[in-house]
Amino acid sequence: MQSRGLLAFPRAAPCAAAFSALMILLAGPPPAAWAAAPAARPSVEATRATTAARASTAAAGSAEAAPAGAGQRIYERSRPRLLQVRTLLKTQDSQASVGSGFLVEDGSLLVTNYHVVSQFALQPNRHRLVYVTVDGSQGALQLLAFDVVHDLALLRPADPAALTGRGAIAWRPAREALPRGARIFSLGNPLDVGFAVAEGSYNGPVERSFLETLFFGGSLSPGMSGGPALDDQGRLIGVNVAARRDGEQVSFLVPAAPVRALIERGRSARPLTTPAWPEITRQLLQHEALLTESFMAQPWRSAGHARYTIPVPQETFMRCWGRGSTQAERGLQFERGDCEMDSRIYINASLLTGYFTVRHETYDGRTLGALRFADRYSASLRNEFMGRNDRHLTAPQCAERLIEQPPRGGGGPGAAPGLPLKAVICLRAYKKLEGLHDLSVLVATLDDSQAGAQGRFDAHGVSFASAQKLAQHYLDGYAWIAPKTASR
Amino acid sequence: MDRAQDRLALIEIVEREGHPARRVDVRAWPVTLGRALDNDIVLDDPHLAAHHAQLEPQGGAAGGAIALRVLDSRNGVRLAGRAVPAHTPLPLPAAGALLQMGTTRVRLRLPGEVLAPERQLAGHAGDTLTPTLLTGAALMGLLCAQHAVGLDPGADFSAWLPTLFGLPLAVMVWCGLWALLSQLLHHHFDFSGHLRIALPWMLGLGLLEALWPQAAAALNAPAGWQLSPALEALGAALLVHAHWRHALPKRPRAVSAAVAGLLLLGGGISVASSLRANDSPYRTPYMSTLPLPALRLAGTVPAATLVQDMAPLAARLAQRVKKAREEDRDDSDAAVED
Repeated sequence: MQSRGLLAFPRAAPCAAAFSALMILLAGPPPAAWAAAPAARPSVEATRATTAARASTAAAGSAEAAPAGAGQRIYERSRPRLLQVRTLLKTQDSQASVGSGFLVEDGSLLVTNYHVVSQFALQPNRHRLVYVTVDGSQGALQLLAFDVVHDLALLRPADPAALTGRGAIAWRPAREALPRGARIFSLGNPLDVGFAVAEGSYNGPVERSFLETLFFGGSLSPGMSGGPALDDQGRLIGVNVAARRDGEQVSFLVPAAPVRALIERGRSARPLTTPAWPEITRQLLQHEALLTESFMAQPWRSAGHARYTIPVPQETFMRCWGRGSTQAERGLQFERGDCEMDSRIYINASLLTGYFTVRHETYDGRTLGALRFADRYSASLRNEFMGRNDRHLTAPQCAERLIEQPPRGGGGPGAAPGLPLKAVICLRAYKKLEGLHDLSVLVATLDDSQAGAQGRFDAHGVSFASAQKLAQHYLDGYAWIAPKTASR
Repeated sequence: MDRAQDRLALIEIVEREGHPARRVDVRAWPVTLGRALDNDIVLDDPHLAAHHAQLEPQGGAAGGAIALRVLDSRNGVRLAGRAVPAHTPLPLPAAGALLQMGTTRVRLRLPGEVLAPERQLAGHAGDTLTPTLLTGAALMGLLCAQHAVGLDPGADFSAWLPTLFGLPLAVMVWCGLWALLSQLLHHHFDFSGHLRIALPWMLGLGLLEALWPQAAAALNAPAGWQLSPALEALGAALLVHAHWRHALPKRPRAVSAAVAGLLLLGGGISVASSLRANDSPYRTPYMSTLPLPALRLAGTVPAATLVQDMAPLAARLAQRVKKAREEDRDDSDAAVED
C-alpha cells in the first residue's frame, strides 16, 4: 500500500489504526508471506514431524482439557470438507499463491476468499486453480462467481463427481446468535505447512466497519485465507480473511450471510474464462454508490475550531485519530485529525480501493508572524501527494480555484463576506476499472495571515457522479463560525 | 641594431593558446618556410616539407601585395580553414593572415594591419568593486531573510552557520572554478571578473524564486506559477552563458549555441519525464503557494463552479484510459505472439 502524503509537514507518526497493518491471509509470493515460506522450506520435514508429534501429544492428552478435545472433534468432522486452494502458473506448474477453502452444497461447490483466486480471476490465461484435500487428492477447479466487496469466491471442481460424498460444512442458523467470548475454531493450511485448527474466541462484529466483519480473537496466518471458522458444533460462522500484524490474536472473518448470497447467485453460473475486470467494476460501482449514499446521509461533525466549521465525518464507519503539537514547540502550533475507513477492497496485491479518508489540520502561527506562517502554511499544502501515472491509475488531473463559502444562513445583500478558500480537486481514473476514479479534494482557508485550516478528502474507487457529489459535500462542510472581524 | 623602418613585415610562430613563440622580422622578400636548413625560417615540424611555402611580393615587384606560394608538400597550407592550391601565388590580405602549415600556425603581420583598441586591465582605476560588493551584500541579505523565515523564532545561532559561511564559500568556489577556466584559456585567473558576473545573476535568480510564486498566487494564476521552474532554469542557463562568454570572448556564437542546446536538451528531458509520470509538462499538479491574505488580488467563485470544472477533467481522463487500454491490448497481443 502506498503511504499517502498527509496534510502538512509535521507528518504524524502512523496512527495505531493504520490499514497497512492489516494482513491478508494469502500464502505465496505477495510480500511478507513469501519471506516466511522459503525460510520454512528446508525444515519442512521437521515442521511436519513436529506437527505430527504435536497431534499425537494432543491425542494422548485429550482427556486433560475439554477445548482441545473439541478442536480435535471438529477437525475430524470437517477434515473431508477442508481443502487447500492453489493458484498455479499455467506454464510452469509452480504455485503462485495458496489459500484454504471448504465444501458447501454437498461437496459440489467450494468457497474461499476472492483474494486467494484473484490472480486467476484477473489473468485466467496465465493461471489455473487446483484443490488439494487433507488426504492429498488433487483436482482442477473452476471459478463460478466472486464477491469482491466481501472478498469471497465460489468455485467448483472441474470433475463434478470428484468431491461428492464428502458432505458440506453446515451453517449455523442466523437466529442463533453467538455470544461474545464463545470458543470458535478456524481451519486452514497456514503457510502451506499443513492443515491446522486455530482456536480462539468470537468477539462479535468489528466496530465502525462499513462492511460487516467479525472479530476473531485467535491467530490466523497466511495460507488460512478462505478456510472456515466454525462453532463448537462444527457449523459455519464465517470465513477466515485477514489479521492485524500490529496486534496479537486480532483476526477477521467474513460473516456467513454474504457467503450464502454468493452461493445463491453463483450456483449455476458459467465458469469464468476471461479476465474479471468488468464484473469487478460492476460490483465496485454498486459498492461505491451505497457507500457514497451512506456517507452523504450523515451530517458532518465539527472539528471544534473556534472560527471555522471544518468537515469531520461521523465515526459510524470511520475511525478518527487526533494529534496536536506540544506546547513546548516554538514553531507552528497545530492540531490534526485523521479519519479512515477500515474496510478496503482488495483487487490484487497492489490495488486496494473502495474507501474514503478525511483529514484536517488547524494551524495557529501567532508566535511566528505572518511571513513565517505563510511559508509553513504553503509548505503544508505543497506536501500533499496526488499520485502519478502507474499500472492501475492514470496521473491526476486537477482543477483549482479560489472559492468562497457563504456564511451559514445565507449570504444575502449586506451579509458578512463569506469564507475564502483555496480548493484543489484532483481526479485519477482506473485504467482497468472503467468508470471508477480516485478523488482528492484539498482545501485551505485564506482569511487570516497567522492562522488557518487545511483539509483533505480522498475517495478511492468512485464514479464520476459520486465524485462530484462528494466534492461538493466536502466543500460545503467549510464555513465561518465567526469571521475575524466579529471575534475582535 | 635593428631599425624599425627596415622591417617589411613580422612573422610570428603562434602557440596553441595564441601567444607568439617566435618572432622573425622580415627585411627582404621572398621568405621561404620549411624544415630544411636553407629556408629563411626553419620550422621544426615533422608535418612540413623541406621547402613548404614561400611568401613573395606579387608580380615580383616590391611594394605590391604579398602572395603565398605553396610548394611541393603533402599537407599543404590552410588559410582561414581552406586549403591553398599549390604553385599558384595567392595574394594575402593587406592586414596580414594566419596560416596553418602542418601543426604550426604562422601569423604574417604587414604594415597595413589595423590594431584592436587597447583593452582595459581588470581591477584598474575607474573600475571599482563597490557595485559588486553592494550586490553581494544584497544577495546575502536576501538569502539570510529567506533563511530567517525558514527558522522558528528563537533558533540557535548554529542554525545560521550554514548560511553565513556556506553561502560566501559557495560563491567563492563557483567563481574560483570559472576563474580556473579563464586561467586555462588565457592565462589570467580572473576571479573578480567572474564575481562581477555571478553576483547580479544570483541576486536576480533569488528574487525571481522568492517573488514570482507569490505574485502568481496573489493573481491566482496557476499557469504562471507553473512556469517558475522553467524561468529559474533559464536564469541559471543565462548565468552560465555569461561566465562562458567571459571565459571565451572570441567564440560568442559557439558559446550561445552550446548553452542554448544544453538548455533545450535539459528542458526536453525534464518535460518528457514529467509527461511520462504526470501526464502533464508540469512537475506539480497544482499551485501550492497560498496568497498572503493582504496581497490576494484575485476574486473568488462559488464552490459549485469548481465542481463543474471537474467535467473536463473526467473527459481528459477517459482519453487517457482509452489510450492505456490500447497500449495494454498491444502488449497482450505481443505476448500471445511470443
